[in-house]
Amino acid sequence: MGMWPYFPELLAVPVPRYTSYPTAAEFQDGFGDADGVAALAKVQSPASLYIHIPYCEKICWYCGCNTGAAGRTSRLNAYLTALDAELELVAARLGAGGAPRDLSRISFGGGSPNAITPLAFVRLLDRIVTAFGSILPHISVELDPRGFTSHWAGMLGSIGVAQVSFGVQTLADHVQQRIGRVQPRATIEQGVEMLRAAAIPSINFDLMYGLPGQTTGDLIETLDAASQMRPERIALFGYAHVPDMFARQRRIDASDLPDAALRFEMAAMGSAFLLAAGYIEVGFDHFALPHDPLAKAAQSGQLRRNFQGFTDDSADVLIGVGASAISVFPDILLQNEKNAGRYRMRVTGGQLASTRGVRRDADDAIRAKIIEDILCLRPTDLSRLDGWQAAVDGLTAFVERAVARLDGAMLSPTRDSAPYARSMAVLFDRHRRASARQFSQAV
Amino acid sequence: MSIACDTCVVRNRAICSVLDTDELVALNRIGRTRTISAGQTLMWEGEDSALVANVLDGVLKLSTGTEDGREQIVGIVYPADFIGRPFGARAQQTVTALTEARVCVFARGDFDAFAREHPALEHKLLQRTLTELDRARHWMLLLGRKSAMEKMASFLLEMSERLVQNGCTPDAGPLDRFTLPFGRQQIADILGLTIETVSRLLTKLKNDGVIDLPSRREVAILQRDILHHRAG
Repeated sequence: MGMWPYFPELLAVPVPRYTSYPTAAEFQDGFGDADGVAALAKVQSPASLYIHIPYCEKICWYCGCNTGAAGRTSRLNAYLTALDAELELVAARLGAGGAPRDLSRISFGGGSPNAITPLAFVRLLDRIVTAFGSILPHISVELDPRGFTSHWAGMLGSIGVAQVSFGVQTLADHVQQRIGRVQPRATIEQGVEMLRAAAIPSINFDLMYGLPGQTTGDLIETLDAASQMRPERIALFGYAHVPDMFARQRRIDASDLPDAALRFEMAAMGSAFLLAAGYIEVGFDHFALPHDPLAKAAQSGQLRRNFQGFTDDSADVLIGVGASAISVFPDILLQNEKNAGRYRMRVTGGQLASTRGVRRDADDAIRAKIIEDILCLRPTDLSRLDGWQAAVDGLTAFVERAVARLDGAMLSPTRDSAPYARSMAVLFDRHRRASARQFSQAV
Repeated sequence: MSIACDTCVVRNRAICSVLDTDELVALNRIGRTRTISAGQTLMWEGEDSALVANVLDGVLKLSTGTEDGREQIVGIVYPADFIGRPFGARAQQTVTALTEARVCVFARGDFDAFAREHPALEHKLLQRTLTELDRARHWMLLLGRKSAMEKMASFLLEMSERLVQNGCTPDAGPLDRFTLPFGRQQIADILGLTIETVSRLLTKLKNDGVIDLPSRREVAILQRDILHHRAG
């Protein structure tokens, strides 16, 4: 398996991760309860639900999520009460208050959902069953391996959770120290054992390259140890150092960060290692074992991209519940109030929590589809887009270097497309060219 | 030791079965035993917190009011069940007796705090909450069944499993003969069917030899596997 060729000129411009299009950077103020009510009323097919638990036992320095320390129980309880209130509001407005209908999927993320107790988690699920009339067909949960207990694992097994994700990041001790997340390898191994004993069918590891002080040797050691634990999925993210946006990252020594060339080498080595270890490429930064539903989705062209990364969830509507959670509807994206206190005020006062958002017109929908295709590493028909020819100039550099193919209006990936996918996607982003906003490096 | 716990008929099956005598006395101080008649909604006067309860006797329904004023029944509870899904003044759900019922009621905050200090009860509370979740999912599955016959057959099977009397053998298996705790109109309301449909379906099951109806309230399951098949 060859390594990706390095073309720094194609990666010169910082680009979004495109977990949505338009991206969250395009969100504007001025959205509110009425926008949420209108969007929910139009939902006709089963939607997916995302529940945000913005608390962690400990705050890690590298993290760009909207989180706070779990701290006192009363704060968590107040937040859980607010979630209950929001779930009621959303369920009553879904499909214009028609009969409750089942949900496609339910995902819990954060933060760390296991910052709450197993009992509180089960009660939260019970609220969802009651409010939505859902039988909870497919549940996935993000977990912090630190503080993950056999009680949690047993509970997840009893519920029949389909998919969990462990925040592993790196197994190199000295790198863990530098990012403020110390979790010995044994912690991860015990967690995986507990999950296997509970018969959880699909486990994901989130891993990172480009971390402070991390060498290619560190990365390969981490990948080697991780792949021996045989998680069904591995997501290999590049660490995005944007301390202007995330104050906690200021604790990280920037002089220690790998440069662009080294980051590329790490991404390339990581991909080659995982493919050799039997994983299949899923989108530009995920990998999965062939029997996992995510690998099957990638191979059958059913892969989707959303705020949780790559997914095999086919629902067109994702309803985000909780502070800062983002909802995706065909014609509008909405984000909840980020501040937990103001979020509680809103929903306990009977108002949906949306405060920011962006509308999507037909042109946006086509661009979103093309961008999703590119990131999912599948062919895409550009002719759907009015004025698509304008992007061809930009694509030429990629085609000439054989990291993409263009046959008429059909843009197709090659085996070397993955690291360049985001840089190609940006050519179809009508919001991007004028913006000077800071994004992470593409690799 | 309170008399209530000494003579409790669900003592060996209720969530509090893990507590010793002293602990039961302590638990009794934060709870109240209430008797309510059929049709009455369970409340706790002067208390505005969410409530939880142990069912000692009788059958009750949990329901939520939808915004357009309709009632959505989200579960049925039977003797020895723990109602951990919060109800009362500050919760969305109400608990209403379908038959005369006796319950031990607690403020949820008090019960949770007590459980935190008694690990065996806390463990049992998690197990009971998981059981409730499982039943809630089954209930939604039952209500989501397409045909009226599937709903009716599922409901009869559920009752034969849940109406198992207390006693020394908690795992005696489902009942082949039981008395319906409610009338045909109530069954119709629970399942979202008309009373005519309920009567017609019961008659059809009887004529097909799947069940027998020895009296107005009695049901005997003659061919459980066929009933399962009709439940979809």
